[in-house]
Amino acid sequence: MQQNSIMLFFMLLVGIGTIFFVSIFMSSLNADKDSTGVKNLLKKRFWFTLILIVVLGIFAAATLPKSPYFTFANETPSTVIHVGTMQFSFFLSTKPIDPKSPSGETIEIPHDQLVEFRVTSFDVNHGFAVYDPSMRLITQVQAMPGYVNNLRYKFTEPGKYHIFCLEFCGTGHPVMQATFKVI
Amino acid sequence: MFRYFICFFTLACFSFFVYANDNHSELREEQNIYGKIYNAPLHLSGSSKVTSVESLYSRKPLIVALVFTRCYGICNPYLLQLSENIKQLQSNTDFNVLVVSFDPRDNLKDMTNLAKQYRLENNRQWNFATTDSINEFINSIGFNPKWDSITQQFDHDALLVGVNEKGLITKNLLGIRTVDDLQLMIRSIHNVFIPSYRLPTKSNIFSCFNYDPKTQTNRPGLGLLFVALPAIITFLIVIIIVIKSKRAAA
Amino acid sequence: MNIESLKLKKISALWIIVILVLFIASIVLGILMRLNQGKVIEQSPLTFYTNMTTHGLTMIGIWFAAGMVAVNYLLQRYVKTSYGVNLFAFILTVIGVVMLWITTYAGKFSTGWTFLYPLPFRDLGSESWSTPLFLISLTVLGVGWLVWSVSLMAQILKKYTLSQAFAWQHFKSNASVETPPFILITTVTLIGVIASLIAAVIVIILYFAEYFSHGDFVNDALLMKNLIYFFGHTIANEMLYLGLAVIYEIFGEVSDRPKWKMTWYISLAWNCAMIFILTAFFHHLYMDFVQPQALQIVGQLASYLASIPSAAVTVFSIVAAVYGVKVRWSIVNLLFFLGVAGWVIGGLGAVIDATISNNIMLHNTLWVPAHFHTYNAMGNVLFSLGFFYWFSTQYVDKLVLSKLTKYTLALLIIGGIGFLMAFYVAGANSIPRRYSTYPVELTSGPYLAKVGALFASIYLIAILIFFYNIAKRCFVILSASSR
Repeated sequence: MQQNSIMLFFMLLVGIGTIFFVSIFMSSLNADKDSTGVKNLLKKRFWFTLILIVVLGIFAAATLPKSPYFTFANETPSTVIHVGTMQFSFFLSTKPIDPKSPSGETIEIPHDQLVEFRVTSFDVNHGFAVYDPSMRLITQVQAMPGYVNNLRYKFTEPGKYHIFCLEFCGTGHPVMQATFKVI
Repeated sequence: MFRYFICFFTLACFSFFVYANDNHSELREEQNIYGKIYNAPLHLSGSSKVTSVESLYSRKPLIVALVFTRCYGICNPYLLQLSENIKQLQSNTDFNVLVVSFDPRDNLKDMTNLAKQYRLENNRQWNFATTDSINEFINSIGFNPKWDSITQQFDHDALLVGVNEKGLITKNLLGIRTVDDLQLMIRSIHNVFIPSYRLPTKSNIFSCFNYDPKTQTNRPGLGLLFVALPAIITFLIVIIIVIKSKRAAA
Repeated sequence: MNIESLKLKKISALWIIVILVLFIASIVLGILMRLNQGKVIEQSPLTFYTNMTTHGLTMIGIWFAAGMVAVNYLLQRYVKTSYGVNLFAFILTVIGVVMLWITTYAGKFSTGWTFLYPLPFRDLGSESWSTPLFLISLTVLGVGWLVWSVSLMAQILKKYTLSQAFAWQHFKSNASVETPPFILITTVTLIGVIASLIAAVIVIILYFAEYFSHGDFVNDALLMKNLIYFFGHTIANEMLYLGLAVIYEIFGEVSDRPKWKMTWYISLAWNCAMIFILTAFFHHLYMDFVQPQALQIVGQLASYLASIPSAAVTVFSIVAAVYGVKVRWSIVNLLFFLGVAGWVIGGLGAVIDATISNNIMLHNTLWVPAHFHTYNAMGNVLFSLGFFYWFSTQYVDKLVLSKLTKYTLALLIIGGIGFLMAFYVAGANSIPRRYSTYPVELTSGPYLAKVGALFASIYLIAILIFFYNIAKRCFVILSASSR
């Protein structure tokens, strides 16, 4: 549940930020008439900046290798699913999809095996977002006309998965969805 | 500035019309990806023993070419192009080539003659073979030649199949292709993940990047210039303002 | 009071009234959207998306204009600015906005503010004339603002040399000429604004090229997406910096604190910010795997780096100006202080989203509107409201912190926090953005939308009170004659 930890982490930061700004404000309200405020400003600023750079550097170093372009890159998928998108439907097939007369089929993906989605669009930009049976977004990629994006994923839980469009594509955008099964 | 931009733009549009070509080869190239190639028994030319496809791909990834020796059409130019492309590669030893006949009339002698035609009979990278399980083999690839009894010829595609060390098909190439496309295939049989590729249907000159398999990087395209253009024009505007205000001051 | 400064005051007062009226209208559109998502009211998807398009474009337009108005007004302290250009920009903005509202409401144009290629050509349900009119309205707005930005830039560079405008002389130990921080930030920001507007011009030209070629000329979707976010992201980011320039200039003044002096690190920070801001937009394309990985990583690093100069210099300076010092608090510096807090918190949400491995879970969920509404509705808007108050009260009456103002501020904070939390929680619950109604599977979506609408209405009440206070003083300025 990456989303939960993101939310928790964010709320923690917001809490720290709020306490910080409130205490700054209170310190001004409670200050004496002739107090001069922060001393050694330049030194404090230096340490603040240094800590900020180090923290962000660590954060970047820890998160960049987890980017989706690198996950599962060294494995061979067991299946490929072709995904064609059109206003306002998804076509999923184990065979290549003809843009002129697209058609899909019922998809069943074995669990714990690497699958590669080859996602493209036949008209406007669409999104291809996979939601697990508990309706959590687990992975996504954009569907762009003229390009094919390869998305690799290993499903661990069997069940019914939903696909939603996550790039605004017109008035039917919210009804654009599909499902597949992981067995 | 604006006038130059318009000129450049018109030129760009014009070249687009010239280069735009329409083919849907990509569609069929996507067939049977990650499917397992049929482990057919093979009779290799220059060898009396029966071997198998598996014993070839488990040693090194394989590029499979499907031909028949009595072909009047595409088979010869296509094999020639393949051998020329491979010669152009900088490192061309990390894979083998298997040329298989899909014509039951072909025997080992025909295949040996074919190898001699390209002076490849002593090249250990190249394997010329016939098989007794033609149908199983071509079905596992999705290759579908049609016999024409009038011309006594097969109507067929020029197909190259990339097979990795596990025997999975990772990429197909249809038609006579460039060395760049061949590089892409060689990358894929070595299990290198390519997160995206362009559809060949719209060879658009405004694309930002063109994947270059030779260097395994994206070459900047004309589109990238357009992305950088706002910054460049802003820079020019500032320079013009500075020069003008200096002149006004002087 | 001379005629020149009265003219500037009047045009600024006119801008402020128009901006606030459009702001209130756009908030109402936003609340309608949340109510529709919450199933309280029922609108057709087409109506929802025309509301969404209008809301997004109008908000970006007016708050950019608000920043420009403030900067133009304060710039008069240092250089002479052109009244004619200001008026020209005002007229073009009004025409552009009217045309925009016609395309959305009469033409049913509904592609969202991103108008991603090729959606404007395949927008279902809209009139065929709406796409060209939309492009024309963008052209009108773009031309007005471009002329305005270039004119202000030219005025700055008439007085200051290029290196002085960028405060490069402060890298040396003893600078002979001091560049006011306001001038540096304005210069840096105007560069970004001009670049983003030129990106918009290129997008419009490419769109028109395809429109007039009747399908012979086809654009590249990736290029268009890059250019649209170059324009959209950069202008949305730069309008925050316009607000910061105002804070640097008048925060000390209204708080009885010394004005901020230019130092080498302020100079360095803003020069760096100028570079980072022009490459940060790549984070909008993380989920487009076609974009080379190098650019994706540049996007994440630039987004991170952009936060360092702003946090280390601007936030730190505000904090240092307030910490442990008796400050004369008024509505103006309270709004500024609150705005900086909102900006920092929105920035935290943004840095989380700008991380590629998080973005795959958050991209185009409600987390995205959550963070940008934080630093707009609770950041940039407050910067501008602070300026509006300062502007409207300095000639009409005194700045006092009345009880009513305190309560209004409390309403603003409560409304803002509640409305934003509904967005954040929905984002963490994987609720997609830009859905007119939610699929039945996404159960928390409608519920959170109702909560959002409720708190947004509280926020609206606070804004209405502020509007009344500011507008009545602006009308006084408008009716004043030169004495």
